[in-house]
Amino acid sequence: MELKIDEISSCLELPSTTVERWVRQGRIPVKMIGDTCLFSDTALRKWAEEHNLPYHPPGEQQQEKQEETSENLADAIGRGGIYYHLSGQTVEEVIGEAVSAMKGIESESDRQALYESLVAREQMMSTGIGNGVAVPHPRTPLSQTGIPTQIAVFFLDRPVDFKAVDKKPVYVLFVLVAASSQQHLHLLSRLSYCLRDATFLNLLSEVPAPETLITKIVEFEARLSGGEG
Amino acid sequence: MDDRLLLIAFGAAVGVCSGLAAVALSHGLVFMMENLSVFRDYWWAFVLPGIGMAASSLFLEKVVREGAGHGVPEVVYSVSRHGGLLRLRSSFSRLISNCLTIGSGASAGPEAPVIISGASIGSNISRLFSLNERQRVTLVGCGSAGALSAIFNAPVAGMVFTIEIIMGEWSAGNVVPIAVASVAGAQVTRLLQTHQISFTHLRFDVDVTSTLAAVGLAVLTALISVLFARSLRYSHHISEKITLPVWVRALIGGCMVGAIGLLLPGVLGEGYHSIQQMVEGAFAPGLALMLLLVGAKIAATALTLGWGGSGGIFAPALVIGSFAGLMYHRFIVLLLPGFSWVDEGCYALLGMAGVISGTMHAPLTGIFLIVDITGRYETILPLILVSALSTTISRVFEPASFYLRELVQKGQYLKPRTDAKVLADLSITELVEKDCKTVPRNMLLGDFIKVVQDSHRNHFPVVDEQTGEFQGMIHLDDIRPYLLDSLMYETVFLEQVMQTEVETVDIHEDLSEVLDRMDANGLFSMPVVSSSRFVGMISKATLLDKYRHELMVQTMH
Repeated sequence: MELKIDEISSCLELPSTTVERWVRQGRIPVKMIGDTCLFSDTALRKWAEEHNLPYHPPGEQQQEKQEETSENLADAIGRGGIYYHLSGQTVEEVIGEAVSAMKGIESESDRQALYESLVAREQMMSTGIGNGVAVPHPRTPLSQTGIPTQIAVFFLDRPVDFKAVDKKPVYVLFVLVAASSQQHLHLLSRLSYCLRDATFLNLLSEVPAPETLITKIVEFEARLSGGEG
Repeated sequence: MDDRLLLIAFGAAVGVCSGLAAVALSHGLVFMMENLSVFRDYWWAFVLPGIGMAASSLFLEKVVREGAGHGVPEVVYSVSRHGGLLRLRSSFSRLISNCLTIGSGASAGPEAPVIISGASIGSNISRLFSLNERQRVTLVGCGSAGALSAIFNAPVAGMVFTIEIIMGEWSAGNVVPIAVASVAGAQVTRLLQTHQISFTHLRFDVDVTSTLAAVGLAVLTALISVLFARSLRYSHHISEKITLPVWVRALIGGCMVGAIGLLLPGVLGEGYHSIQQMVEGAFAPGLALMLLLVGAKIAATALTLGWGGSGGIFAPALVIGSFAGLMYHRFIVLLLPGFSWVDEGCYALLGMAGVISGTMHAPLTGIFLIVDITGRYETILPLILVSALSTTISRVFEPASFYLRELVQKGQYLKPRTDAKVLADLSITELVEKDCKTVPRNMLLGDFIKVVQDSHRNHFPVVDEQTGEFQGMIHLDDIRPYLLDSLMYETVFLEQVMQTEVETVDIHEDLSEVLDRMDANGLFSMPVVSSSRFVGMISKATLLDKYRHELMVQTMH
């Protein structure tokens, strides 16, 4: 194979100065002509394995890590869906209705598991975060169930007492299910950014149409990433 | 082509070339001796070594512009620090200067010059074929082994010396090509040369008492080795203090050697003739004269090498050793006349092994050199005893081998596969972590907290916006007390919270020095700065990672 020195050093996840020195000292099975490196793929792979070094030739690079943090709120809500007119009277009823309405859950046992873990979480400590909003979520990611990462929004017909921190009855639920804790935290932090804002809360209290809500969230997320950069 | 086969083939070629260099030098020496022997009987013959040494130092200084080193330390240095890089002219310069020095009668050995020539041939052949450093170092070893095995006609000693002194490590990758080169060198010398030192016809019957008595000889040779090494250094020291041109110094030194030679001609030249006589038992002088000869040979060699002559200490060490062995034999015969002692020649051999092992701290070289030139194993028991003990005792007084002492003192001797070698190979440029975000000095604390949110590091270098100069560091700990105090967000500038007295590392600094500073100040990471600009951070955590990789790469072939 033939690669440039900086390409080969990124394959091995090493600084190019190190690779250059190793080639010069004859410690790595690579030959250098000018700044082009000649090597046999199998020999270098074997060498890297023997020396406990990573080796990803171009094309083999995995990009799993990228996904985890680039998840955004609007997409998650798109996956979860927005529902209106939940009629339950108690926390359990509301959650039960919400879970049975949610999409992307393949088996009944998964649905049951999700319901149980959401109720268990509520019993431990309310997810009512104030201003009539609750964010029910499982305590640990339900990764074994294969439920995709999503946020489902439910507007209640009649506010229900969730034992929220500010004692106000809850009229909207953001049910958050994530495949990993990292995604969970990431989405929760984005959601809480929106929920801290008075204009957003005003919009929620008006029970907006799905399009209006998504547009608002996209707008907020743009502001969030604008602030980051 | 397979790497190992390639090295074996190149090793054989290098061995042949360095063998030829050895044959050339020894022919040159014979030629010089024969042509100059007619002048030996005149009273003014004592200036001959002076003229020879002056010519030799002029040649080295003015014509080829190389220092008058002994040869071996230069090769070790190049292997240890420069991946075996040697100049092409080193392949012949020392041969000529050594021919002038020894041929004129000054006291030195031809081995070190031949070794540096062979090593330089190996180095330049590998450069010609653009081999890498590991291969080049092996070929340098091949050159040295071929040269030494050719000049002594002692293949095992050539190989062992190279591995013990030049390479400093036994590894399968090195040993085979070096062995092949050794064989090639010895073969060249056997084909082209008729006169060699060889004692294959001698037999020694070594009994228990003689073996036990060898312990005394070990102590004696160890002390003589220490004396020898110290007088070499002392003499060099004195000559450096004299502010005369190099060649004048060499002239004076050479005349002094010549003067010693007028009284005791046995000390002149490389001395193989005297060795021959001593081993064969044909050397007449008594105990007192032997003592004088040991002293005189040490003085003559110290003057020759210290004052500008070119040559090695191998042959003089052999001569001194055989003088010492003979002296010891006379002494024990006088002391305990009732016992039956082995021939004095045997003690001459043991003495040689003792002084070689003692000065070079290379017991195996001492043992195998004697086995090689006698071709017999009868003397092996006292031989091992003397070599091992002599090395051990002289180590008490001299911390490092004569060849390496200077390099060790300057910290330039890096044994392969040691901590020092790994640290020397890693440079700060390779270790610096560049994912650190710099922040301007007049940034507000509130803005800084946003930067902190996006960063995954705890250290933030502060720079001047205009000049880009490094100003100081902020660690998360520095702002922790104000993190939740929103009043401070808009009122505090970063330059008010940053640490200004920060230890920094220059990008060109030596890693071992940086580590020493980290240890001394209890730091785990330091900012790297190049011409007052921030480059990145260096931390012990990454260092461990890179250090392990480097160690693995260096130790597994």
